Amino acid sequence: MLKITNLHARIGDTEILRGLNLEIATGEVHAVMGPNGSGKSTLASILAGRDDYEVTQGSIEFNGVDLLGLDATERAVAGIFLAFQYPVEIPGVSNMNFLRTAIGSIREQKGQDPISAKDFLAKVKRCAQLVELDGKLRDRSVNEGFSGGEKKRNEIFQMAMLEPMFAVLDETDSGLDIDALRIVSAGVNAMRDEKRSFLVITHYQRLLDHIVPDRVHVLAAGQIVRSGGKELALELEEKGYDWVKEAV
Amino acid sequence: MLATKEDRGVKVAAWAAEATGRTNPDFAGLTFPTSRDERWRYTRASNMLGRAMHPATAPGSAPAQRPLPNLDAHRLVFVDGHFMAALSTGVTLDGAYIGTWGESIKANPGLLKTWGRGAFADKEWFAALQAEGSQDGACIYVPKGVDISSKPIVVEHHLSGAGIAAHPRNIVCLEAGAKAEVLLWTSASAEADGLMNLAFDARVDEKAELKLEFVQDEAGQSAHVSHLHLTQAADSKIEVHTATARAHWLRNDLHIEQIGERANATFHGCFAPGDGQFTDHHTRIDHAMPDGTSSELYKGLAFKGGKAVFNGKIKVHQDAQRIEAFQKNSNILLERGATIYAKPELEIYADDVRCSHGCTTGQFDEEAVFYLRSRGMPEAAARRLLTQAFMAESIVGLRPEAREHVEALFLERIHA
Repeated sequence: MLKITNLHARIGDTEILRGLNLEIATGEVHAVMGPNGSGKSTLASILAGRDDYEVTQGSIEFNGVDLLGLDATERAVAGIFLAFQYPVEIPGVSNMNFLRTAIGSIREQKGQDPISAKDFLAKVKRCAQLVELDGKLRDRSVNEGFSGGEKKRNEIFQMAMLEPMFAVLDETDSGLDIDALRIVSAGVNAMRDEKRSFLVITHYQRLLDHIVPDRVHVLAAGQIVRSGGKELALELEEKGYDWVKEAV
Repeated sequence: MLATKEDRGVKVAAWAAEATGRTNPDFAGLTFPTSRDERWRYTRASNMLGRAMHPATAPGSAPAQRPLPNLDAHRLVFVDGHFMAALSTGVTLDGAYIGTWGESIKANPGLLKTWGRGAFADKEWFAALQAEGSQDGACIYVPKGVDISSKPIVVEHHLSGAGIAAHPRNIVCLEAGAKAEVLLWTSASAEADGLMNLAFDARVDEKAELKLEFVQDEAGQSAHVSHLHLTQAADSKIEVHTATARAHWLRNDLHIEQIGERANATFHGCFAPGDGQFTDHHTRIDHAMPDGTSSELYKGLAFKGGKAVFNGKIKVHQDAQRIEAFQKNSNILLERGATIYAKPELEIYADDVRCSHGCTTGQFDEEAVFYLRSRGMPEAAARRLLTQAFMAESIVGLRPEAREHVEALFLERIHA
């Protein structure tokens, strides 16, 4: 589904990714772990199409398409979703209006008919249950006055509504208490299937107790320095990141 | 070469004579406003002087359709300062009079004395011009205790073509306990390049309630200057919702005076000048008596090449104890090359009052734009949604039909 080859990227004069390679097959869940400043969030941002980063070398192929040739909107239409580390508050735009506009935009760009009001509402109900998002939060302005946990649940709710082929979860566990972590993870797990892939970016192993990955990669200084099965996460938890840094 | 002061005075006098159709208009010593006048510091009116214009001896053609055609309303239509009886539906109803100023002063010349030249005429040059050139406009009188608010009154003023200056005068009088809703609507044809110089005076007596919506939707290159003055007596309530939906060059003066206790005023406004457009909203509220309240909210957007001014003055007189006044002005500069001058002005002479104000000017949160794009919205759709969200609270007081019209005009200025 996704193939990243020798990716180099910088912001301003600072080089952040230095030859990153990563391949994720359809239906797989991969985790990228790494110390602060290793380039985890940069990777998420580049996949979603944020303009602040300059890709200087390398390629990203998504289902055979050159992803770097698409802008942020086109990537969402192509089926990529980023769950933000810091979801944005948008006062004055209700969650419902926001999602209706987003779904309408995507369907229009795909040449599909608009979703009916009835189907939309049914979907809202189903997806909101998935992350235990109550009616009040659904009707409020996007993320406005939401707690950290509510914001992250809202991200997963949006993911469920948009049904992406490939979702990037950027430190979705940060700022979550145990209950919220359980709810968010359950939402993600409910969406796992053989046609959808995930990239879970995290600093801590605990999220991977709930969302069990097929592969774990360690990112350090802009490169994948180690890859393995889910047990690699446990090894990291035990030894910390220092040994990784030494390995570079 | 710069003209001398005398040359300029002669030029202005000649222009004003033509624009009012009077040989010697009386300006009571006022001079044409320049950037040296504090209230005109950022507002250059002198371009107008380069264009010859005069009052129309007969009305040009009215727009084919009335504004908000599906709205069930009384309608008073004026084109180039002339009443269009065939398009209007003025009535007398439960003792209330919905008609024209021209007819009213013919029937009752005493009214002229009562209402005088308008509250601004001895302070503002353009108001003096209005008083000197005064033409027909709406006259709405609602007697004591009568409520006609269930059916709004749409007062339409249209400028039909090039070279025309119109000076419509509008009067609203609500006696004690009366209620009415008025929708003032100005428009101009694409050829219009003159001046809409409008006066609106309202007297709202004890416990009376007036809701005024003012939509300015003017195509063409004409200038617009309006003078709105509302006085409110004890326990009265006023709502004013102004939307500058489209204007080439506009100056709006809104002045509310609370001359009775416990009066309540809400006044909201919005503007969004596009390339080459200019809007200036000057508001003033006088809390002259105790226990009054006021809530003001103005929101502005400026596009590339657009320029706007907001000046909100709150004056709390010495006797106006325990009043509560709130003012908020938020502005967004959408693109480089957009300009907004914003100035709150609070003068407080009473000691036991609650006054608060907030004024912000910024840009759209680009992180929000990215967030919306990452959910599949094209950039223009994302910006439209954010624009709607930003403007929402300033137009929510307009009736839905008017709100939709205004919003559509704002949104069409946003390109991909």
